[in-house]
Amino acid sequence: MGADRQTVLAMAALARLDLARGLAPEEAEPRVAKIASEFSQIVGYMDILNEVDTAGVAPLYSPMLEPQLPREDEPRPRPQTDAKAAAILEAAPRRSGRFFVVPRVV
Amino acid sequence: MPELYDLTLEAARELLLKREVKVEELVLASLERIRVTEPQVSACLATREEEALELARDMDREGPAPEKILWGLPLSAKDVFCLPGTPTTAGSRMLENYRPTFEATVLTKLREAGAIIVCKTNLDEFAMGSTTEFSAYKPTRNPWNLARVPGGSSGGAAAGVAARQVPGGLGTDTGGSIRQPAAFCGCVGLKPSYGRVSRYGIVAYGSSLDQAGPLTRTVADAGRILSAISGPDGKDSTCSNLPVPDFVNLASRDPRALTLGLPPEFWDGEFDPAVREALDRALAELRDAGVTLKSVSLPRVPYGVATYYILASAEASTNLARYDGVRYGFRASESSELAGLYRDSRSKGLGQEAQRRILLGTFVLSSGYYDAYYKKAAQIRRLIQEDFVKAFGEADFILAPVSSIPPWPFGAFTEDPLTQYQLDVMTVPLNLAGCPGLSLPVGLGADGLPVGVQLWGPSFGEQGLLEAGSLLEKIFPPLPAPPLK
Repeated sequence: MGADRQTVLAMAALARLDLARGLAPEEAEPRVAKIASEFSQIVGYMDILNEVDTAGVAPLYSPMLEPQLPREDEPRPRPQTDAKAAAILEAAPRRSGRFFVVPRVV
Repeated sequence: MPELYDLTLEAARELLLKREVKVEELVLASLERIRVTEPQVSACLATREEEALELARDMDREGPAPEKILWGLPLSAKDVFCLPGTPTTAGSRMLENYRPTFEATVLTKLREAGAIIVCKTNLDEFAMGSTTEFSAYKPTRNPWNLARVPGGSSGGAAAGVAARQVPGGLGTDTGGSIRQPAAFCGCVGLKPSYGRVSRYGIVAYGSSLDQAGPLTRTVADAGRILSAISGPDGKDSTCSNLPVPDFVNLASRDPRALTLGLPPEFWDGEFDPAVREALDRALAELRDAGVTLKSVSLPRVPYGVATYYILASAEASTNLARYDGVRYGFRASESSELAGLYRDSRSKGLGQEAQRRILLGTFVLSSGYYDAYYKKAAQIRRLIQEDFVKAFGEADFILAPVSSIPPWPFGAFTEDPLTQYQLDVMTVPLNLAGCPGLSLPVGLGADGLPVGVQLWGPSFGEQGLLEAGSLLEKIFPPLPAPPLK
């Protein structure tokens, strides 16, 4: 099964990507067409997995052979949150006081 | 005495402990070598001259600490390891100005073992690529031929070690990103078992596949770095609690007691003549030394590339969802609504290959396609892991080529992503299985470019792998230094 241009645009919308961002309309269409064609080729290649019989095979999501036991739930002193929070906020592209700034949502 | 920058970690350590060389001299030699070779290879994204020299002088004042296995030794770190106070870009515009507030566990462990990080090395954006051409900053060039790629994604680490900028570097391997650049640049590269090394503080790509590991010029040096970075970490629940064996004092192996399994799925394929000739020579040298070589099949590895790109892209699309322009990283400021802020920041801050993998990952995880792609790939992953377990019942280790072609010219595959993915066929199965692998050079091909092989071992079998690797290293001829000015 290949994936068409519509599918690629739908995936881009889900992933919050604008594939034609910053391009003039006459450049946008060839760009999207190229991405869709490469995408379709890759997904088409992935269909070779259908050659393998996987009936009854449990999926493997992590290669760990032994399950890891969680660590003990031991109380620890509260870390110095104010300095840490200030340092973390320092990395925010826009901030106001103790807050991250985003466009108005309500 | 050889030039200081030419020393291996072990040789430099000996001189440091005897106080024949000062830590400051060693670090200065490394920084000077970076200055001289960097215009040719472009391996680094940042150097840490002041911090490194300050640390070196402190160490010289305090005197040698032999219990620290990397005391006073300069190393590089791929720019995916979070290091407070130093930009950590992951090769992406998205993180151009990002300075972490926390330290990757592996860097904490290196620091505690006495190592000095002198530079952060270049990579394909978010470690997605096999050439460093997808770095948002610059491509790294192969020290053996500056018109060729160094491999990737840890291409900066491999090129820097080959160019003698540092005696060792730390990289990451999600689908071959340590082993393939090591082979392309004539270094040793080790991908540990999944869970041997903490992933805390490493910019995430494929969380069930990523592992950090060393790139060095000798197998013993790789063992030394692995010793320092291995072990449980309360900050990473996928990091194993298994005890860490001694990777520094390795037992010697008898070649006549060693059986290597050669998967026909790789060895019977098509190769570039120069690569084939170097590999055949290596096999003959192994046989002459008394090593038993036998055919051991890994029947499902031909499905490795498709399986890997489904699972790795799925994990990447999830991991890269965090880059939204709000909390850190690049923000496109023009949008007046939230979804637009996300879309604009991601579309402008992420490069073409990262976007491609996000699209693929979103696709294979989306309802309607999940079972056909993501679940199917995870099922085949189990079959591939079973193939590995079975193969290790038939041979001590698996011997595989790293690449069927030599390092290629820049731009050769950038417009053909599927072919570039397919070139990863010999490296990705190992990450799917979670086993450790060691890449080491067998010599130069007729084209003057290094050729490598990989030795794969059972999960958590790094000690045996390093022992066997040390033996192979003695059987194969040593590489000269690359022809840099």
